[in-house]
Amino acid sequence: MGYREKDSVETHNNHAKPIKSAVDKFALLPEFLKVRGLVKQHIDSFNYFINNEIKKIMKTNDRIECPQDPSLYLRYTKISIGKPVEYMEHHAEKLTPNICRLSDRTYASPIEVDIEYTVPNQTNKEYKKGLVIGRIPIMLRSSCCVLSGKDEAELAKLGECPLDPGGYFIIKGNEKVILIQEQLSKNRIIIDTDSKGRVNASVTSSTHETKTKTVFFIDKDKIYLQLNQFSKPISIMIIMKAMGMENDQEVMQMLGRDPKYGFLLFPSMQECRSEKIITQKQALEYLQGKLANLSSLRFEINKDDRVKKILINVFLAHVPVKDGNFRPKCIYTAVMLKRMMDAVLNVETFDDKDYVGNKRLELSGQLVALLFEDLFKTMNSQVASRMSKAYDKASRSTPLYFIHYMMSDTITNGLERAISTGNWDLKRFKMNRKGVSQVLSRLAFIATLGYMTRVSPQFEKTRKVSGPRALQPSQWGMLCPCDTPEGEGCGLTKNLALMTHVTTDEEEGPLIKWCRKLGVVDVEDLSGEELHAPDSFLVMLNGLILGKHTKPQKFANAMRKLRRKSVIGEFVSIFVHERQRCVYVASDGGRVCRPLVIADKGVSRIKEYHMKELRDGVRSFYDFVREGLIEYLDVNEENNALIALYEHEIPKDGHGEDNADVQKSSITHIEIEPFTILGVVAGLIPYPHHNQSPRNTYQCAMGKQAMGNIAYNQLSRADTLLYLLVYPQRPLLTTKTIELVGYDKLGAGQNATVAVMSYSGYDIEDAIVMNKSSLDRGFGRCIALKKQIVVKEIYSNETSDRIVRPQNEPRKQALDADGIAAPGQIVRRHDILVNKQSPRNKKDRITNPMALKDCDYAPSNVSYKGPEGETTVVDRVMLYSDKDNKMCVKFIIRHVRRPEIGDKFSSRHGQKGVIGTIVQQEDFPFSEEGICPDLIMNPHGFPSRMTIGKMIELLGSKAAVSSGRFHYGSAFGEPSGHADKVEDISRTLVKHGFNYSGKDLLYSGISGKPLQAYIFMGPIYYQKLKHMVLDKMHARSFGPRVTLTRQPTEGRARDGGLRLGEMERDCLIAYGASMLIYERLMLSSDPYQVQVCRQCGLLGYYNHKLKTSWCSMCKTGDSMSSLKLPYACKLLFQELQSMNVVPRLKLTEY
Amino acid sequence: MDSQPEPVSYICGDCGAENTLKPGDVIQCRECGYRILYKKRTRRIVQYEAR
Repeated sequence: MGYREKDSVETHNNHAKPIKSAVDKFALLPEFLKVRGLVKQHIDSFNYFINNEIKKIMKTNDRIECPQDPSLYLRYTKISIGKPVEYMEHHAEKLTPNICRLSDRTYASPIEVDIEYTVPNQTNKEYKKGLVIGRIPIMLRSSCCVLSGKDEAELAKLGECPLDPGGYFIIKGNEKVILIQEQLSKNRIIIDTDSKGRVNASVTSSTHETKTKTVFFIDKDKIYLQLNQFSKPISIMIIMKAMGMENDQEVMQMLGRDPKYGFLLFPSMQECRSEKIITQKQALEYLQGKLANLSSLRFEINKDDRVKKILINVFLAHVPVKDGNFRPKCIYTAVMLKRMMDAVLNVETFDDKDYVGNKRLELSGQLVALLFEDLFKTMNSQVASRMSKAYDKASRSTPLYFIHYMMSDTITNGLERAISTGNWDLKRFKMNRKGVSQVLSRLAFIATLGYMTRVSPQFEKTRKVSGPRALQPSQWGMLCPCDTPEGEGCGLTKNLALMTHVTTDEEEGPLIKWCRKLGVVDVEDLSGEELHAPDSFLVMLNGLILGKHTKPQKFANAMRKLRRKSVIGEFVSIFVHERQRCVYVASDGGRVCRPLVIADKGVSRIKEYHMKELRDGVRSFYDFVREGLIEYLDVNEENNALIALYEHEIPKDGHGEDNADVQKSSITHIEIEPFTILGVVAGLIPYPHHNQSPRNTYQCAMGKQAMGNIAYNQLSRADTLLYLLVYPQRPLLTTKTIELVGYDKLGAGQNATVAVMSYSGYDIEDAIVMNKSSLDRGFGRCIALKKQIVVKEIYSNETSDRIVRPQNEPRKQALDADGIAAPGQIVRRHDILVNKQSPRNKKDRITNPMALKDCDYAPSNVSYKGPEGETTVVDRVMLYSDKDNKMCVKFIIRHVRRPEIGDKFSSRHGQKGVIGTIVQQEDFPFSEEGICPDLIMNPHGFPSRMTIGKMIELLGSKAAVSSGRFHYGSAFGEPSGHADKVEDISRTLVKHGFNYSGKDLLYSGISGKPLQAYIFMGPIYYQKLKHMVLDKMHARSFGPRVTLTRQPTEGRARDGGLRLGEMERDCLIAYGASMLIYERLMLSSDPYQVQVCRQCGLLGYYNHKLKTSWCSMCKTGDSMSSLKLPYACKLLFQELQSMNVVPRLKLTEY
Repeated sequence: MDSQPEPVSYICGDCGAENTLKPGDVIQCRECGYRILYKKRTRRIVQYEAR
């Protein structure tokens, strides 16, 4: 950005030009992404699980006791996770991600525990260190991964791509991502209206022990509590009394002095009184009668205890009850009631469920933690039950060692199964989610990145509500406004923006200590009256009431100062809610936040010398945070901030120009870069701010289907299907995001010279006309790499397949002497890849499995399944053993494809089209310089789509090729110099002898005459999409049929027929084309000759020997008729008969 | 084809050493112990079509 500084002379009425004092903060962004990576949220979350959470889980479940004898126990003392290894024949073998990908293994580390356990009749305990209780899949680039902290050269040595973001798992050779899950925040009061229109306050409590939901609602002016454990809604006053608040006045005081609250609570009090409940004892007795009949709890001795237990452990479970002290819970209830009543009195105080601040993002670490906790508990109970069984056995020749009953399968298999299927089925936590993990798409590099930032929704997709789908203003800067799928998931599935960070849990202890020090008065010390005293704000920490503070603003500022001094965590949020009169302090995980530059009274704290230090490499992004120049704000705290977009746009106090309504002194933060409100995928679009918004959304979907480079290691990978572009290019018109994410290194497209004009009739409806010579030169040429695996099976009788040297047989020309096709050989459909033979006897025991004769084997060749008529080449052949020690052969088969009519292309502006025709270059228009376009696009694509960005891209690219300098088109980049202005581009064009508007004089290739109009022509970055005619083309006359119905098969893969469906049938009926229906629906489908008995109407049969028909019902052949039926119809009759329904055919003369 | 076939050798994915395999052998490089072996490119003459 050196050239920027020179020309930044302040002109008074040019706002767009940066003034001298504005510091170019762009350099922060690459620095931020360097320390954070694009998928830091995943990796952070997994690291937190590995380093902290797993220890907490172990600590809460650290003891296994023998049920019969509690003195027999096992205790875990330490848990740790090592580096990824696999145990092969009693020795550990180090794993790298690439080995796992290539040989279908799981990238997992052993979980090692230190244990101590007692042995019967022995006084001292036994110890064991480093016992492996299972293997846990490791996230790539997490702290346990071998890739963490490696530089580019080391990564290359491990066969890894340095641009690969990591953050996924490798399960049995498949790359799996655990998607970010969006959820409503836990332990927070949400005021809402339910389906019946009742005001509703709900809290989903989540603690390490339980997960419960508490709902208060107002029905007919009375307030009730709804809880699963109670069969009916309970009046709230009874609950208060049951918790020991016998005094109605105190409850009133807790709500506040205002009589309005009293009026609202009065009906509930009346109801309580009419039930004659005055004391705590009466209330508990009353509640006992309302208990839901949970048969499992019947055994409990004391029912009174049960109600109390429910009040402690289920009702608002996250509010702790210490030594039977219900006061915190009472206060919490009062606060909930007050919030509810506020909502009744003032509609504005309802909470918005779609507000991002009320949401938490659940990351892979938390999800794996849940899974691990469940499996760990399962394993422990399994150990206990095995131990008890052994204990019961009378003969105890060997002493009972706990260690003998520890098995490592439960955790290993459980984790592997859940992550590979994506089914999180945890009965212990009442969780049953599907599709949590998905296969990482490697179609394009951008698709991979897009997967890592995807946020999957909490709602089912079928819901027809617009609220959760709409763009929320609070998504600004946190979630990308463009990147969302079309169709059912629209607006529900979101993507993180470029700078978003998702927090992980942080220790509460120090925070509480600091809050107390800064003058937060404990709730315990307050009377009900003082709770809502007019001069004080409540202080809430992670959903719990910590106390109150009389000077909330001062308190908040002090806390923020602590955060900026790095005394408390950088992701702690302090949010003063004026209307709710609360200060919310949050340190919980799953909040979305983003970094902002701190400004003091509108003056940025970052000065030029800071940036110089950054450029010189003596200052990192972390230093900026630590020194309080940059801080992370979450969605809630953003409400307390006034964020300026640009420093130079901040008005001078007093005489600011068009935005004089904002006082400079009130500005607290400045954005780092405005284009970071977009995500990774939307960041590829040049000039997105000049496009109609849905076009950007379309491009976000299409960018993920573009072919190009996948990774640096793409040619040594072994994916089931890989599409690569032969000559990928980097876009002439780039954006800053492209450079940040590495799309310029792994591009997915080519800069095609596009002429916007009409040519032939083959360019209607977005079709493009392609230059044949361009295709000869390699434009749009791609490689499809397909994988085929052959396993040398080992059978139960210890026999196994064998691969033998081929004889001179047809279709075996690609095979080597070892019976396996060799790389470099051309293979066609049905050619044999492996000359494999299987034993004829696979079940019975054979004395000597090695001494089978040749005649004992039957050929079981594996042939190549590829497109008919295409020449494909064996690219690589790999040999490895899988986890059952079976030999596997992996073939990677390469197919180079040249674009053909019908292949799909798209620019980066949601403008897709197929090739309509391919024309000789001789017939193509050309300019005076001899420039001939690669493709011709119809101008009708522009008016209705309004993709001005594409036009500017054409101009910018044209200027870029002529001047030899890449041009930029970052979103909202014009004021900061990250996007070239059309004016400047035009100047460049003129300088290089082009028209300023990008139009050229073209000559017709057919007649040689100049074209009537000047043609808008220049390079546009075009992507080749994965949809190709070759993979879709399908036609058939006759072919395979389904055995059951004898109708043609379905689908291209099975060479199926094209169905004449019911709607087409309706048309034919309406038209009256009966013979056509007859022909389509029977003759060409499943005609069948049947014999029908005219007497009974049932089907008979034809005896070929006697050449007569016979009805087996009437036992005669007298009145038989022969006719044609669809076979499916005959099948239906027979099925009906099998169900005791008799269909009879009535025949009449025709 | 001749009666005495010369054994097919495979290339180690890590160190590049040539290995020969007999039926029943563990698939592992004899030099470095790497467990993925690659087949060598065919020695026959292949004519590709360049379009």
